[in-house]
Amino acid sequence: LRRCLISIDMHRIEESFRGIKKAIQAKDTMQNVTILSPSESLHSIKPLDACCMTKNLLAFYVDRVFKDHQELDPQLLRKISSIANSFLYMQKTLQQCHEQRLCHCRQEATNATRIIHDNYDQLEVRSAAIKSLGELDIFLAWIDKNHQGTSDA
Amino acid sequence: DGVAVLPAPQNISVQSTNMKHVLTWSPVMVPEEIVYYSVEYQGEYESLYMSHIWIPSNWCSPTTGLECDITDDITATVPYNLRVRATLGSQTSAWSTLKHPFNRNSTTLIPPGMEVTKDGFHLVIKLEDLGPQFEFFVAYWRREPGAKEHVKVVRPGGIPMHLETMEPGATYCVKARTFVKAIGRYSAFSQAECVKVQGESLPL
Amino acid sequence: VPCISSGLPKPTNITFLSINMKNILQWNPPEGLHGAEITYTVQYFIYGQKKWLNKSECRNISRTYCDLSVETSDYEHQYYAKVKAIWGMNCSKWAETGRFYPFLETQIGPPEVALTTDEKSISIVLTAPEKWKKNPEESSISMQQIYSNLKYNVSIYNTKSNRMWSQCVTNHTLVLSWLEPDTVYCVLVESLVPGPPRLARPSEKQCVSTLKDQTSELKVK
Repeated sequence: LRRCLISIDMHRIEESFRGIKKAIQAKDTMQNVTILSPSESLHSIKPLDACCMTKNLLAFYVDRVFKDHQELDPQLLRKISSIANSFLYMQKTLQQCHEQRLCHCRQEATNATRIIHDNYDQLEVRSAAIKSLGELDIFLAWIDKNHQGTSDA
Repeated sequence: DGVAVLPAPQNISVQSTNMKHVLTWSPVMVPEEIVYYSVEYQGEYESLYMSHIWIPSNWCSPTTGLECDITDDITATVPYNLRVRATLGSQTSAWSTLKHPFNRNSTTLIPPGMEVTKDGFHLVIKLEDLGPQFEFFVAYWRREPGAKEHVKVVRPGGIPMHLETMEPGATYCVKARTFVKAIGRYSAFSQAECVKVQGESLPL
Repeated sequence: VPCISSGLPKPTNITFLSINMKNILQWNPPEGLHGAEITYTVQYFIYGQKKWLNKSECRNISRTYCDLSVETSDYEHQYYAKVKAIWGMNCSKWAETGRFYPFLETQIGPPEVALTTDEKSISIVLTAPEKWKKNPEESSISMQQIYSNLKYNVSIYNTKSNRMWSQCVTNHTLVLSWLEPDTVYCVLVESLVPGPPRLARPSEKQCVSTLKDQTSELKVK
């Protein structure tokens, strides 16, 4: 991910997540289940696979989670929209990176992504979307960690 | 919805400077009445995947003014659709939509205000506080033929930051520009400001 | 003998106070029971695991805090904790925290700051804050090993000119040269980690004086 320089306003995304964290995580009553499950998937990803994993997870959120979540509260809707549009921008930035073949996808990243989708599919879709939204901080922290080398470029 | 009798607001446009974005429109004239306006926005995500979703602006739903600070609404570097409508009692106008979607990467970046001072032999700069999205590229050099220009990234603005330890009797000049990582753009450099360091008499 | 879950009010304001991964659960007593001999029992939950776990050292305690640093030491996991109040045979419902994520929520303590001076300079040596450890014999882990982009904001205050300026540094030594002799400078250092904002915990302000200018002393003689 270090080579796929992402000029991302992480500050704004993290601020938006802090605006939904309490309300969204409170709606997630299944504390014994996780989607991103830190130990199995994300934290076993090597730096080489970080760019591909980021791309896959952005697609997971943009194509599934944000679509499956119907938010009625205007304040939460604003924050979720902010995150969704920021992820859309990140996708475009990574897309340019992919075209320069710096975002190579190996089996490890593909397997880890499939675990996440499987976790998602095992839950009722609304609950799965709520849980995934509540776990955005895991994904954001992982991006921060894999992005650190460039954040002060 | 009330019957759309009221004319829709016209001349909608966005002015954006230093990542502050303001939507403006012309008034809907109704003698001796107060007309309210509502602003809604839709990011590229909504327009692609949920085109029926429009989100009320944070500050202007409703407002009696003719402008709306949409800075807190435009929070990603993607195109945003914006629309305004007028309301008077139960009468509601049609929506007027901005002709071209607005992307914050078109904002005008102007050079930052700065205050260059010294504390003894220490060159200190205090830059304008423009918010967490702004970094500052500060160039400084010793004013002499063939001087080498040094560059330092300074963040945040609003507090005095140390730039350099200066040599006695020399003059140092400084200029700065802003950098907004979220849109990957710089402003122009500010005018250079120079300070002279008091000379030091050589020891016996 | 299990207590009876009655109308006893719950403890309030239950939160984690986390500094350098030392994670203390704290709460306020239930409202309206001043003077009553209330005790508390704590349980915790590792997000994604199966069940609530007891914290034996925090069963029927009268204090209003409980150190869960050991139980929450894997800072990349997320946790919940809950407390209930007990008074005689009656107990309250559980009061539960939100989801606690040590990696993002712990406050980063200040570094250790050592200052040495001479006539016109002050040398500042910083030692990164250490992660909490279970017992002193354990090998230390620096918070820098967890947050590799940890940096320091060093603020210097010249008490003679009444001027203050800051410098952001990543390395652990900083020499302030060309200072004014025989002048008191005060130094304050704060650890910074890019990412979500964290409560700042600056170091104690330390003030030192640069030495008198030996050359002017010689001239006088």
